[in-house]
Amino acid sequence: MIIKSIKMALKAITSSKMRSFLTMLGVIIGVTALVVLVSLVTSATKAVTDEVASMGKDMLSVSIADNKGKPLKIEDLKEIAKDRSIDLISPKLTSVAEHKMRNGIKSSDVTRIGTNGSHFIIEGYTLASGRLLKHADLDNNSYVSVLSNDIAISLFGSTDIIGRDVVLDGVKYQVVGVLNTPKGLMAETNRNNIYIPFTVAQRLQTDASTGNGIREFLLTAKGADNVSRAEQVVKEALKARFGDDPEAFHVYNQNEMAKSIDEIYKVFALLLGGIAAISLLVGGIGIMNIMLVSVTERTKEIGIRKALGAKSSSILVQFIVEALVLCLIGCAMGIAVSAGILAIVNGVSSGAAAASAAKMTFSMSGTVILVAVLFSTVIGLVFGLYPARKAAKMHPIDALRFE
Amino acid sequence: MIVFKDISKIYNIGDETVYALDHVDLTIKEGEFVGIIGPSGSGKSTLMHIMGCLDIATEGEYDLDGQSIDVYTDNELAAIRNKKIGFIFQSFNLLNKLTIEENVELPLIYQGVHAAKRRTRVAEALAQVGMSHRRKHTPNSISGGQQQRAAIARAIVTRPALILADEPTGNLDSKTGEEIMALFQELNIAGHTIVLITHDASVAAQAKRILMLKDGKIAEVRDDN
Ligand SMILES: Nc1ncnc2c1ncn2[C@@H]1O[C@H](COP(=O)(O)OP(=O)(O)OP(=O)(O)O)[C@@H](O)[C@H]1O
Ligand SMILES: [Mg+2]
Repeated sequence: MIIKSIKMALKAITSSKMRSFLTMLGVIIGVTALVVLVSLVTSATKAVTDEVASMGKDMLSVSIADNKGKPLKIEDLKEIAKDRSIDLISPKLTSVAEHKMRNGIKSSDVTRIGTNGSHFIIEGYTLASGRLLKHADLDNNSYVSVLSNDIAISLFGSTDIIGRDVVLDGVKYQVVGVLNTPKGLMAETNRNNIYIPFTVAQRLQTDASTGNGIREFLLTAKGADNVSRAEQVVKEALKARFGDDPEAFHVYNQNEMAKSIDEIYKVFALLLGGIAAISLLVGGIGIMNIMLVSVTERTKEIGIRKALGAKSSSILVQFIVEALVLCLIGCAMGIAVSAGILAIVNGVSSGAAAASAAKMTFSMSGTVILVAVLFSTVIGLVFGLYPARKAAKMHPIDALRFE
Repeated sequence: MIVFKDISKIYNIGDETVYALDHVDLTIKEGEFVGIIGPSGSGKSTLMHIMGCLDIATEGEYDLDGQSIDVYTDNELAAIRNKKIGFIFQSFNLLNKLTIEENVELPLIYQGVHAAKRRTRVAEALAQVGMSHRRKHTPNSISGGQQQRAAIARAIVTRPALILADEPTGNLDSKTGEEIMALFQELNIAGHTIVLITHDASVAAQAKRILMLKDGKIAEVRDDN
């Protein structure tokens, strides 16, 4: 009976193809929006979180929001680093500086990071030429700098610039090293940095509220086994200093970072998915609209079927199945269109990936397909029900007399 | 067996009361061939709809095969229409989206007959009305006479005891009409009870018994039985 109903529905749908297609269009667009948007976001999330998770499972990142008037000093970091679980530790002071070309006309903003030599090892950066920052640079407040590859190229047109000077906010720093271009997605954000000794950066800091203290630092544990101990040690030390205020400081490990990125993207996916779902809903209303017209047009048919012995339930099933089949065909078309769009996006992004180090493949997740199919089914049922009930409730004689 | 006991069908239009059927008493036995004639608006179709369980009388009792139909639910009435009654209409009422074969198959689908048996029954019914060669056609692509033959095939495919025909020749030329009437004769000989509605006296003349409706009231005209 159900198979017969599906055949009947297909017949009704194919008998006016253009109209059926237009009816389905809302669902097609809704499903396409849902599948494409959610697939893009989930693929991006996976790429980023994979990267973050792989980026050093033994790394911890600490930020201090409120130092309670007791600024953290380099010496304090050294004290923390004495624990056997901790390998490297590196302060980080990020600010924006203006770079002036020698002719004094062209200027550009760069990211200036005050740190120490461990920073590069923690981040996994390698040298293209020259050397990294040394302890002596920090101890002597030397005006030296290490440049990321991109910035060396954009400022000097070459990476062969050891011994030359960069001028940031009117202060000269001798270039002692140039980094290789980092690989991976996250590295994208770190391509325009100029690194200087932390102590020098600290001196430049004019903002009194920060109290010249360390607001941010990175550290690595001695192997993944020591991560939780290292985290414990850092938290204890900071708690002892800043008190038991959960807002005063935050210690992130990579898993947590991956998790919080994941959370953000999930909200994103839900939001976009929600918008797409609304368009699918609108598609459903379109189907209901056409089904209502169709029920009126087919009043006579309903009367004939009832005269031939169709029960109200058979008529109900017939029209619900028709709405359902419309929705599901629309859904299938939407999924096919989505696959096409994602294939195109992949083509474009792999072309772009040749230029940048980042590479991302967008694939349709099974979950979103399932959600799309389920949602289309529900929409078919919900929006098919009212017209179908209207059809089923028709009195055979009123339906037969209808011309 | 059909027994109408004091059946009335009343329509209220505004504050006017129309008796489409006015206290009709009537008995039709198995195997009869009854013609019902009457002018337009006399209540012929109304009578057929009530007889066919498509509509319900306002007053009176209708017994079908010894059982008052009041006791049946809508679904049971649908099943009765399906098994016991075959309808034939003036305008054929075939579904244009389906082929002739599929149209004839419909009552069997609603009866829940399985596919293989449906196929043989449909083939038999189409052969009986001489329409086997047009079974793959749609109603639009065959003549009116052929459409009515197909409609008759659809009416007899469930082998109902009773065939109700409302002006079956009304849309056909006289020669085709005669062919259709010949079919009804065959069906009656084969054992079907036939109630044929018409306003054409020459068509009605072919029935064994003729009833006349006028303003909802029924009168016996002739009974050859
Ligand atoms: N749904 C309805 N509402 C109001 N009046 C109705 C309705 N159906 C039928 N009637 C009235 O009942 C009367 C009988 O109608 P019916 O259709 O039975 O006539 P008929 O004999 O079949 O006529 P015709 O030969 O034109 O088909 C008519 O006066 C008609 O107007
Ligand atoms: Mg009539």
